[in-house]
Amino acid sequence: MNIIVTIKQVPDPDIPPIHFKVDEAAGKVVPPPGVAPVMNGYDANALEAALKLKEAHGGRVTAITLGGQEARDTLKRAVAMGADAAVLIDDPNLREGDSFTTATALARAIEKVGEYDLILCGRQASDTDAGQVPLGLGEILGLPTISPVIAIESTNGGVKAHRMIEDGQQVIEAQLPAVMAVSSEIGEPRYPPLRGIMMAGRTQIPVWTAADLGLDDGSAAPKVQLRRLYIESREQACELVDGDTPEEIAAALAQKLREAKLI
Amino acid sequence: MLNYFDVELSDEERLVQRTTRDWIDAEAMPLIAECFEAGQFPAQLIPRLAELGLLGASLPKYGAGLPYSCYGLICQELERCDTGLRSFVSVQSSLCMYPIYTFGTEEQKERYLPKMVRGELIACFGLTEPDHGSDPSSMETRVEPDGDGWVLNGTKMWITNGTIADLAIIWARSPDGIRGFAVETDTPGFSAREVHHKLSLRASVTAELHFQDVRLPGSAILPGTTGLGSALKCLNEARFGIAWGTVGAAMACFESALEYSKIRPQFGKPIAGFQLTQLKLADMLTAITQGQLLALQLGRLKDSGRLRPVQVSVAKRANSMMALEVARTARTILGGNGISLEHPIFRHMVNLETVITYEGTHEIHSLVIGQDLTGLAAYS
Ligand SMILES: Cc1cc2nc3c(=O)[nH]c(=O)nc-3n(C[C@H](O)[C@H](O)[C@H](O)COP(=O)(O)OP(=O)(O)OC[C@H]3O[C@@H](n4cnc5c(N)ncnc54)[C@H](O)[C@@H]3O)c2cc1C
Repeated sequence: MNIIVTIKQVPDPDIPPIHFKVDEAAGKVVPPPGVAPVMNGYDANALEAALKLKEAHGGRVTAITLGGQEARDTLKRAVAMGADAAVLIDDPNLREGDSFTTATALARAIEKVGEYDLILCGRQASDTDAGQVPLGLGEILGLPTISPVIAIESTNGGVKAHRMIEDGQQVIEAQLPAVMAVSSEIGEPRYPPLRGIMMAGRTQIPVWTAADLGLDDGSAAPKVQLRRLYIESREQACELVDGDTPEEIAAALAQKLREAKLI
Repeated sequence: MLNYFDVELSDEERLVQRTTRDWIDAEAMPLIAECFEAGQFPAQLIPRLAELGLLGASLPKYGAGLPYSCYGLICQELERCDTGLRSFVSVQSSLCMYPIYTFGTEEQKERYLPKMVRGELIACFGLTEPDHGSDPSSMETRVEPDGDGWVLNGTKMWITNGTIADLAIIWARSPDGIRGFAVETDTPGFSAREVHHKLSLRASVTAELHFQDVRLPGSAILPGTTGLGSALKCLNEARFGIAWGTVGAAMACFESALEYSKIRPQFGKPIAGFQLTQLKLADMLTAITQGQLLALQLGRLKDSGRLRPVQVSVAKRANSMMALEVARTARTILGGNGISLEHPIFRHMVNLETVITYEGTHEIHSLVIGQDLTGLAAYS
């Protein structure tokens, strides 16, 4: 089973939010300097799921990311963990886009990679939390798409996915090829073994631009516009409710809550 | 990783450092204080160390064949957790796999190295004796040729991994000088006894080995060993790791103290706001950064084949003392809390007393450097 895993490099989600700055003019989040970005957590889960399927059924795993040159680190980590190949889509126009742009670029890259049976994505990225790309990929490629997936089994000629729903699980069978957006329940990602890291150092990572993907005609231009990005200012006020006895205090508190239409 | 001077690492080095740290933080850090208190080595980590490829990481063919700078970063991260953990890996990799790979026959390599990489065979290195530490050239352990094999007699002391080892690399006096032997520990006459009552390296196994007419096959000798120099070559490999590991221990102490100083108020403000505390923090940061740059250059020299043994002595000596001093300073910042196992500092501090002692004491390395500078040996 040949699997393509889409992977995003994100700012380390372990960084406390107060260390982030927002450049309102540029509409960008500025992570603190000196903290290396990491592989998006759900994408690492997706890669782990792909590697397990490969170990059980054979095939190739290819990791694709849309990002800058610094995203090579994340692709190398993917190869070190066990991916057979990696592709970097690096184009300033594509990087500035929205989920539609990303899904379009990834879809074209997936077609360019060619043979695939399954496309695995993380259910959402920890920087934007949009969760749009897997669904967009399914739409653009015209493939069955399932999200969020917590277990995958290979069946005769197809796959069975366990999908998380509010109060249980749905088991869905799909034809291949298919797109699945994976959730963390699918399993902890492995640590890359050192031998893998050595291999990754020797792996050539091709870089594709918008032109390479036939997207230099603006067909992947964003559909949404970011109007404003800002950190909400929160105000906290504290009011002490006074009274002589506990009963009086409780009554006064109840009165205030009622006035505030909270009860 | 503390990187005040923007030390540039290669992609590979960054990935190795990060992977080792992530694993350590997730699986080793939560165990270590308890193991230290109980006086136990966290043996449950051995299969995971092996899976990640941390045993014999720089060995070509059998291990991952990583550059030495990567091996150094691994040691840094292991010792950031505990010297005992780094010592286990140093002994297995530098003191045991290295001599088998360097001085052993093809048959010995095939017999031992794959299992050692997989953590299925644990080894120890026996050079020190009860009466001969800094001066191993006067060792009393001896082998006598006997038919087509050898008979081994003697005692080794302070041997890391001694009671959990399946294989011991033993240095013994033979009729043609000091040689190294691969001794399987289930050979009759071999016994190991754990050293108790240690106040340092408590999360590491230390043992006394005793050999009473241990009959070894002729194939036990590491044929490439030619005197004490061969043993010293192994130690030089391990000292390289110590020069890096101690930077990790110092980082752990510094980070703990910095964090604490910011959240501990006295006299109405965090102690980090007092000049004396800031002086300590500045001194520690500077010392660690110097140690880090030294270790890095040591790695660059080794990877390019230009490293001289005396440079390893300089770095081992400087960085282990640096780390010990950082630990002592860091401890003062935590006040009473500094003596508690709830924080990593005291544990590192007492571990580092071993580090300035083993693999050549601080004093002996001074003499090595002194001899290099003056041409005059001052050992005796
Ligand atoms: C926890 C631990 C683990 C160890 N693991 C191993 C191991 O796995 N394998 C192994 O073979 N050994 C191991 N060692 C032994 C270690 O290498 C020795 O302790 C060390 O070499 C010092 O020897 P010694 O303890 O006999 O001290 P001594 O040699 O007796 O030294 C005592 C003091 O005298 C000083 N001194 C000695 N000679 C001179 C001189 N000429 N000039 C100035 N000062 C001098 C020393 O510097 C030291 O301060 C370990 C030790 C410890 C504590």
